Amino acid sequence: MSDFEDRHMDFVLKHYQEGRFYTQKALERFNEAHGIKQKPRRRVLPWVSGIVAAAAAVVLCVFLFHDNDQQIQIMANAEVQEFVLPDGSHVTLAPGSRLSYSEKSPRKTLLEGKAFFEVARDESAPFEISADGAFVKVLGTKFMVDAGSSVKEVYVTEGKVLFAKSSDAEGVILTKDMQAVLSQSDAVPVIVMESDVNSIAWQRGSFIFDKTPLSKVLETLSEHYKVSFAATDLDKQLSGEFEAEDLDLIISLIESALDVHIVRR
Amino acid sequence: MPQTDKEILFDDLFRYNYRPLCLYALHYIQDVDLAEDVVQECYTALWEKLQEGAHVLSRKSYLYMMVRNRCLDHLRKKGIPTESLKPYDTYGIIDDNDAQERSQTEAKLWTAIDSLPDKCREVFIMSKRDGLKYEEIADELGLSVNTVRNQISKALKVLKEGIHKIYMFLFA
Repeated sequence: MSDFEDRHMDFVLKHYQEGRFYTQKALERFNEAHGIKQKPRRRVLPWVSGIVAAAAAVVLCVFLFHDNDQQIQIMANAEVQEFVLPDGSHVTLAPGSRLSYSEKSPRKTLLEGKAFFEVARDESAPFEISADGAFVKVLGTKFMVDAGSSVKEVYVTEGKVLFAKSSDAEGVILTKDMQAVLSQSDAVPVIVMESDVNSIAWQRGSFIFDKTPLSKVLETLSEHYKVSFAATDLDKQLSGEFEAEDLDLIISLIESALDVHIVRR
Repeated sequence: MPQTDKEILFDDLFRYNYRPLCLYALHYIQDVDLAEDVVQECYTALWEKLQEGAHVLSRKSYLYMMVRNRCLDHLRKKGIPTESLKPYDTYGIIDDNDAQERSQTEAKLWTAIDSLPDKCREVFIMSKRDGLKYEEIADELGLSVNTVRNQISKALKVLKEGIHKIYMFLFA
């Protein structure tokens, strides 16, 4: 284990007592105190049930062996999931996305789907992401890669990133708040002049609107929550930051803010 | 009484954050019992606020903030000067953001240790926490030195490999 993990481990071990910080027991205590009746939860992976009493198995991990070099795959099934890679980089995977890397070179990754990266700085080893028809190379920064559709997209929130079709193709350099897209017919990614802050709403956990027409707001929400809407007064403008946690709440906030009526279709 | 949506959401808030919050509190107050009480208190306070109809954006950050403040209250009551009210690990003072971030990983490590077979965990803790030599552990538990060595390397392997898996599976 690395020093970083040792430091965590030392702290945990110093205080470790078996059966303490036991979520299930604490939750029962809480529910009892507040008269909440507990709903039984389905155990999706019975063999981990001893470890995680009732957490739903949202993510899974597959170990494949190739020439003694372990291929590690991390995956988010139903929810946005954050992972820490062995080099200390953080990856937030969008639902249904997968990232794999080999144990020997954890900074060379393969992405299927959409992910937000916070790459740990290491000048000697660039962090690389390959996706079907897209390649991204970076030294230490925060950015999002969407390789989930035929148009690949990179959005940088910090630092500097090279975005190209493949590792030997000509690419574009992106810096803070720049966004570029790469469609199948393009050889080189195209920089989007007006980058959309809501591209990373799923990672940030909130939507930011600034005098955005309601039509555009609903388009953004529709893409995020996979539902469609109909509304009156589509040209009214909305400003503010909204938590991405609860769609009904956002809708009701927008309705009262703009005095409009929004229905789901 | 059937569970309401609100209760289910709160239930998830509890399941996903209880252990990390305990570890976070531990960085301030270094006491397992107290940490559990503080975290339980904070969930109760948040629950009551929500029942009253309060609107809390980002409940998770709100919980972290509550836990921090309550820990600081405890420390102040013990007469600890304000400038020393800092989170610690075994190496010294750490940053509050760092403590929040680490609490997630540490909760997973705690869970991983819980998941070790009993004997393996016992040997591992005697060695890594209590600093006993292999011979001393073997003596105390009536095992061979070889068995002790094997159990420790097994534990390390589980935790090291597990650290990947842990990130995947464990929210408890």
